[in-house]
Amino acid sequence: MEELFCKDCRFYLPVDVFTGLCKISKKSVIPDDSGCEKSEKSVKCKFCMNFTSEREYLGKCMESTLAYPDMNAIKCEFFKWIERN
Amino acid sequence: MITTKNPHINYYGHQPGESIENREQKRSLSPRANTARELYFSAKSSTSMEFPYWYTRRWEELEGEIPIIRRAEALKAGFSHLTPVIYPGEILAMGKAAFLRGSYPMPWLSEAFFMAAEDKLYKEAQESGKLTADTFTTMGKGGGNVTTSVGKVISIAGKFGIRVEEMPIMLEVAKKWKDKSVDDVGHKYEQLVPGYSEKEALMRSVICMFDSGYTLPQGREVINYYYPLQFGIEGIIANCKESTAAVAGYPDMDRLYFFQAVIIMLEGLQKWIRNYAEEARFLTSIEKDEKQKAEYSEMAERLDWISAKPPRTFHDALQMIWIFHVAVLNEDAISGLSPGRVGQVLYPFWQRDIKNGIINREQSLEMLECMRIKFTEIDCFASMGVVGGVLSGNTFNNLCIGGSLKDGTSAANELEMLILEAGITCDTPQPTLSLLYDENLPEEFLLKGVECTKIGTGYPAWINNRVAMEFLVSNYGHEGLNMEEARAWAIGGCLETSPGSWMPLELDGEIHWIPGGSAPATSVGVHFLNLPKLLEVALFDGMDMRTSQRIFPSHGYALDTYEELWKSFQYYFSRACHILTLTNNVQHDAWRKISPSLINSMLKPDCLAKGKDIGQMGCRYNTTFNIESCGTANLVNSLAALKKNVFTEKNYSLNEYRKALLANFGYKTAQETGSYSLIDQVPTEQYHTWKKIHRQSLDAPKFGNDDPFVDTIMKDWEDWFCDMAHNYRSLYDQPMYACQISVSTHGPMGAVTLAGPDGRLSGTTFSDGSVSAYPGTDKNGPYALFNSATCWSHSKSQNSQLNMKIHPSVVKGREGSRKFLELIRAYLRKGGFHVQFNIVDSRMLKQAQSDPEKYRSLLVRVAGFTQYWVELGKQIQDEVIARTEYEEL
Repeated sequence: MEELFCKDCRFYLPVDVFTGLCKISKKSVIPDDSGCEKSEKSVKCKFCMNFTSEREYLGKCMESTLAYPDMNAIKCEFFKWIERN
Repeated sequence: MITTKNPHINYYGHQPGESIENREQKRSLSPRANTARELYFSAKSSTSMEFPYWYTRRWEELEGEIPIIRRAEALKAGFSHLTPVIYPGEILAMGKAAFLRGSYPMPWLSEAFFMAAEDKLYKEAQESGKLTADTFTTMGKGGGNVTTSVGKVISIAGKFGIRVEEMPIMLEVAKKWKDKSVDDVGHKYEQLVPGYSEKEALMRSVICMFDSGYTLPQGREVINYYYPLQFGIEGIIANCKESTAAVAGYPDMDRLYFFQAVIIMLEGLQKWIRNYAEEARFLTSIEKDEKQKAEYSEMAERLDWISAKPPRTFHDALQMIWIFHVAVLNEDAISGLSPGRVGQVLYPFWQRDIKNGIINREQSLEMLECMRIKFTEIDCFASMGVVGGVLSGNTFNNLCIGGSLKDGTSAANELEMLILEAGITCDTPQPTLSLLYDENLPEEFLLKGVECTKIGTGYPAWINNRVAMEFLVSNYGHEGLNMEEARAWAIGGCLETSPGSWMPLELDGEIHWIPGGSAPATSVGVHFLNLPKLLEVALFDGMDMRTSQRIFPSHGYALDTYEELWKSFQYYFSRACHILTLTNNVQHDAWRKISPSLINSMLKPDCLAKGKDIGQMGCRYNTTFNIESCGTANLVNSLAALKKNVFTEKNYSLNEYRKALLANFGYKTAQETGSYSLIDQVPTEQYHTWKKIHRQSLDAPKFGNDDPFVDTIMKDWEDWFCDMAHNYRSLYDQPMYACQISVSTHGPMGAVTLAGPDGRLSGTTFSDGSVSAYPGTDKNGPYALFNSATCWSHSKSQNSQLNMKIHPSVVKGREGSRKFLELIRAYLRKGGFHVQFNIVDSRMLKQAQSDPEKYRSLLVRVAGFTQYWVELGKQIQDEVIARTEYEEL
């Protein structure tokens, strides 16, 4: 199973591009830190069946529309989990 | 050499004591607001691609659709997909983007400026002079600015950080807008204006600071919260559906599309609000702390309600106006969207809650403090030249207090007293406060304003209610604005007088007339004109001697007399106004076609009634384009020095002056010294060659001393400028008007200007505002400064701006407060439009400059706005330090 970072966790609350807060512990976390035992995948394009990676940080949504792996897709009507956790 | 007893600081009166005097004691803010502010202090300006990605994706899907519908659908997609973020302890939710200080690029306006330097798009922008101002702007190095790229974060414009994961998509999305953005389309067609090359030369030389059509097309205006407060979102949608049925198939079909577009956009806002409600429910589900859990739950219920219905309480109403404020900020790159007279708008809700025991004063104060933090979190994504050189990172959300009610009586109320109190306890840059001074305002209210100004917040700025109303009736009278309507006015942006309207808010069967903005951006057009540089170009017969490029053709005057010099300046100034008015009109036309305002239009009377958006003159008042100036005191002082030394006393020929200016009077340039105030400049070995002419230039009469020799020149300039501005016609075929604020442009504009005949040295920052004296030259005390500043009628201009710096000891205690209020009154009674203060010991600012980390929360007043010291560029920091510090009044 691939490593999950804090920025990819559904409990990650972004403060800025350098730091965030954990929604559970309320503690400050770094987005690139490794997730903890409570981490759960956030809804992001890279976890979606409709996303195809093409090159670093870029890909396609449903094989036609430009997309990027790290985008939050929490409100995307097309999102389908590849594998939830 | 220029020296004072205390090196590098200009004093009026006596020298201060040995130790640095602190400002008067501040009162502490509520624990909740304090926590929020600490989080703010830790946060950096951050940008993300979520909104622009979905906006662009939907826009592309709707190729061929009616443009305003396409725009509405794109906005709906952007809002609907924003990730909701709610921070612990928040009682007012929602923000621009998924970061605390979040913002995002809007490539549909302009796609080139944030591209990497090697990118072709960036190079093209640079060649047309659009980015020259960026080169001469210094950004603040501390606070929340991401000044350099580090690790997985890339710095854009020296301020915004973007994660490396989002950089490729930013470039890809930006490229999709090439030749389609407002910037590109406007540029394509502005080149058809005869004499266009002159416009590019003006931009390259930074005689003009920036184009307004695609940089900040909205703002410098007052929002209007009436419709959502009265009808709720569902009420407005129902109204639009009725209007649709009434106009469908009839002539003037644009109304049909406008109503449909508003409905689509509002559906997007509903989704956005409900997404936040859903997040609040999620947080409720995982929260262990019972109090916090209850607050999340209440937040979810409130947001659900507001997504459809009008507010029930003060808390609902405050949350609702915040939501609509952010919504408008998300539809365009905007600075200066003023909330206006919030203390009037929300008073009926607050009064009812107090009466019914729903809220008490302590809770109200906490809520208002939290509102201050939310407004302070607002960032505007723009290029370095705009965000640094003009805005200094500020976004100018001006909240006005005082002024008049509809019937002309005092508008001050208890809620406005609490707004002032929150400004004291929670001293943050936003929203800045402006007190609309009128003789009938109660003494207690005015003293509260003084108390707030005294602690060093820089706010409230003190504004003349009557002078503003005189300007409004004069400027908008032909559109039907009368004295009663003029009383609904407020400041839009930092200092732009903006018309308003009285709207009938019905609550429990009672009508409350609440004021709100009823015009589009009141400060778009020719932005800003560098007055000392234009004089320099006149002296060199059309050449920019810094770049050796020709700006204008020869003016043809021999300059044998002062009158010829004045005429040559007027000729070049008029040429600049002519070409820049036309090119900006083209850009704004591109803006209204490609990116029409929907949210702001929906809010502004009478767009819904007319079925027309702002760009189609849907607003009640539309005479809103202006010509902005910068460097007034330096222009006037330079003209006075030449009049005296060349044309009256004939101490020097004009050629000798030209040589002295090119030699920078024998000093190093500001860029060489890295310091931007005159007092800090360093002489070269050639200094003695120019010592005498420099001394006589410095000793020539200076504005701000009640000296008729120079004040007459000031009056001549003002009378001419305020009249000639009306000769130019806006996109809406209305006469334009003079606007005289410098914001932060006096930094970069000074940086590109050679030494001046007034003795100012090359590259140093100009005087701020328009009636502020040049630092260190106001030697006859504040009342002499007031006489000079009011030598012309301020009601002829959208504004004037006077900055003063006073040592804290001078206004200390109750006696100090009374003395301070009398000083303010004296100026406003003379007809001054605006005065604002820094109450600070300049030595503290010097310390803060060398040790910024210790001064993260230090606030200063710049020119129409308050900002954290550490977020200001050095050009502006040096100018604020150099301002004359009054040790006695």
